[in-house]
Amino acid sequence: MPFVDALYNTAYRMTRNSEDAEDLVQETYLKAYRYYDKFEEGTNFKAWLFKIMKNTFINNYRKKQQAPTLSDFAEIEESFENQVSEDATRQTKNPEEELLENVLDEDVQGALDKLPPDYRMVVILADLEGFSYKEIADILEVPVGTVMSRLYRGRRLLEHAMLDFARDHGYLREGEPAKMRSKSVSK
Amino acid sequence: MMDCKEVGMALFLFFDNEMEEELLAPFRDHVSQCGHCAKRMAYTRKLLVIVREKCVRCSAPDRLRHRILTSLPHRGTVPGPY
Repeated sequence: MPFVDALYNTAYRMTRNSEDAEDLVQETYLKAYRYYDKFEEGTNFKAWLFKIMKNTFINNYRKKQQAPTLSDFAEIEESFENQVSEDATRQTKNPEEELLENVLDEDVQGALDKLPPDYRMVVILADLEGFSYKEIADILEVPVGTVMSRLYRGRRLLEHAMLDFARDHGYLREGEPAKMRSKSVSK
Repeated sequence: MMDCKEVGMALFLFFDNEMEEELLAPFRDHVSQCGHCAKRMAYTRKLLVIVREKCVRCSAPDRLRHRILTSLPHRGTVPGPY
């Protein structure tokens, strides 16, 4: 069964529960089977499957109205250049490389869960599934510039969330009282 | 030659293997001569390694594979790549 693990992993990260993930993957295969004649031989089959899954995911969410629609983020989409230059002017300290050492597996997964769906999706496709920008643009049916912009922002959001988790570990390890913050995760 | 701002913008492209051929040399030149950007590059590399390696990936459960196989309509020969 081609790519079932990759599809399931992505479905799980997007729906955040195994039942919905399994339903989503099954629906994806059924649609792929039904519409296989629409697939162009020789083109990227994995990307085609992911595109079907992405559209199924969006349609299901619209019906359930469980989460903000993926298009919510289109309006606050900033160009890639603006985001990078904003970052550059804002950054006065050097990035905390040592703090990255403290990041645990569950910190990364927790941080990924916190990302808004649009950003989470691109990070999953790029960093977990290894798709190229062009393939991601094809799957999400957006321009490559949008992929780059969302990936930049998504990774930065992920980074900040991960560092927050890592800082929490650091405080606890040194014996200081854990700082009370609304977004800190209690263990 | 690239400047710090251009290098900052290009960092992810570099690690995603999406940088255009002709930019690789100026990019590397700048990083080899600029301590600030070299540090940023090391940090970015580390960040991406962590994201890519620490997100544990599980296999699809067996029951899912079974569900899919039994739900697909059967014909004489199965079309497509299955």
